[in-house]
Amino acid sequence: MSSQGNGSGSAVRTEDVWKVYPQEPSPVEAVRGLTLDIEPGDFVAMAGPSGSGKTTVLNILGALTRPTRGKVWVGGEEVTALSERRLARLRLERIGFVFQAYNLLPVLTAMENAEFTLLLRGVPAEERHRRVRALFDEIGLEGLADRRPSKLSGGQQQRVAVARAVVGQPALVLADEPTANLDSASSAALLEVMERLNHEHGTTFVFSTHDPRVMERAHRLIRLVDGRIDRDERQDPHAGNG
Amino acid sequence: MKLYALLLLSFRSVGRNTRRSILTATAMALGLALLIFSRSIAEGGHEQWIDSAVRLGTGHVAIQAPEYLETGRLEHRLDSTQVRRVVRALEDTAVAGTVRTWVPRLTVSGLASSASSALPVRIEGVDPARERVFSTLPDQLVEGRYLEPGDRLHAFVGEELARRLDLKVGGRFVLTAQVASGQVEGQMMRVAGIFHTGIQEMDEGLVHVPLETMRRWLGVPGAVTTIAVLLDSSRETEATVSILRQELDGARGVRVMGWRQASPEMDSAVRIDDYGDYLFHTILFAIIALAVLNAVMMSVLGRKREFGILQALGLTGGETGLVVLGEGLFLTAASGLLGMVAGFVFTWVFFRHGLDFSAFMSEGMSASGGVIDPVIVPVFRYDQVLLSVASILVIGTLASLYPAVRASKLDVAEAMKFEQ
Repeated sequence: MSSQGNGSGSAVRTEDVWKVYPQEPSPVEAVRGLTLDIEPGDFVAMAGPSGSGKTTVLNILGALTRPTRGKVWVGGEEVTALSERRLARLRLERIGFVFQAYNLLPVLTAMENAEFTLLLRGVPAEERHRRVRALFDEIGLEGLADRRPSKLSGGQQQRVAVARAVVGQPALVLADEPTANLDSASSAALLEVMERLNHEHGTTFVFSTHDPRVMERAHRLIRLVDGRIDRDERQDPHAGNG
Repeated sequence: MKLYALLLLSFRSVGRNTRRSILTATAMALGLALLIFSRSIAEGGHEQWIDSAVRLGTGHVAIQAPEYLETGRLEHRLDSTQVRRVVRALEDTAVAGTVRTWVPRLTVSGLASSASSALPVRIEGVDPARERVFSTLPDQLVEGRYLEPGDRLHAFVGEELARRLDLKVGGRFVLTAQVASGQVEGQMMRVAGIFHTGIQEMDEGLVHVPLETMRRWLGVPGAVTTIAVLLDSSRETEATVSILRQELDGARGVRVMGWRQASPEMDSAVRIDDYGDYLFHTILFAIIALAVLNAVMMSVLGRKREFGILQALGLTGGETGLVVLGEGLFLTAASGLLGMVAGFVFTWVFFRHGLDFSAFMSEGMSASGGVIDPVIVPVFRYDQVLLSVASILVIGTLASLYPAVRASKLDVAEAMKFEQ
């Protein structure tokens, strides 16, 4: 069975993934036998109590940490055996990240933050600026391109982070509790942005969340308990609206 | 493009904590400025010290018979043919441009005696006109005059010798030495002038007499024991010695020596002084290295999460380390440039006419055959300045390496947990 074939057709796929942290007196099993297949263009929420393994799963899907055992495919490529250099390349080209604490680079402007991955990929300046400006206009950041993160509100910073994550058109965008630090209005605006990008550009989103409003908007809701999938169900995001 | 992104981050990060960066850069720049200043003073001091010693001694380059340095005997002299060949080499070859002047000297050990006493002395036959340009001894005159062309039986003696022999200007005394035939013969001389150098062995043991008188007395027409060569700078010694050795390769019985070889005591003194400087500079470099290490390390420790983000966005560990290294390099380069300019300007504006150490020195202080001038004029050696700047850059790089390696080795998932 080719490793390519196993994950082809999926945005991300895992097979019996475990993550065990060696710890005294006994090792901690943060993820236990996770098998998951996320289709391109999906909008997936991963929910669960604290310590259920949400962040660890996102780190594994994002090739930030290697599973103790099991296999992971991102955009059809088996990533668990890749070198650090290849993993960095994979993150640059195929994965976008949105973090809870925004995590923009404080020494760069909003524009420079958003175009950073394009710069690393060697995209010419004109093309970078055109893509970022279009995205900024689309997500309500027009006029803020030259501001440093410290001069932006939390909601604006998180939208810049989303722009940075999607501007390179990755196979997968992983968002770790993206609304956790935002007020309800900013959360709603951010979700709208992510939904629109998902809908209009077909970007695959997987996010961890505690926020019921976020869970409601997901097309697929995966509940984790103690490192295992407790429930995995498709849902109609508009059902609640009624 | 990727390198540009890394450099952009490095450059911007220097300005992230402006106060810390300015403080670190200032410490480094001051360190380098101090280094340049102290090197220029040390160089100036050495050059003056060497200049004084070689002018009172055998020059930057001494040309003698091979055995003369060890024996000091008249039989180990250069004859008139050898002298002509040496003079031709000095005046007609590639070294002519660096030779400021040269003097012939015929030196023997002997005895100076007067009606009241007798003392062992070094008797030096000199060409008065050339000696005036070459040596600082004529300037140390305290009474009478220095020798002049045409003088025959005149002598220029040290103050202590004159006191102990109870001699006054115009007074007569006898010099006795072994002449070329092996006999010991005396020569009546008259004191033309008295000098005071502050160097005891010169003030009580050196007598200058006219070269031709000396040659006739000793029975060695046209001969010298030393041709002493004064150069524009002591730094040209090695090259000049090398060329002269090639030029005089076929001349038998001629030995060319630099001042270090001809005056091992002076050479040792300069080396010891240099080692002291090196020790001081090492301490200074260590302080600068710690300043850079501290600045970059503090910067790295506070940005663990940020480095995690960079790696999540697609940088490798090595590239993340390069960002940190670049930060240290930018800081060091800016400080190096600032320090170099500050060092030059400070030294030039305040001390171009010399730094006066007379409050810390006794009058007529001497060492290793040279009189130490209490006013030291700084001398910039561009190779030394460049070396200092290069050393600062290397130290900045080395001090940034450890933080860079730490940044490159972090566990990305762990780093992301690290709250800002």
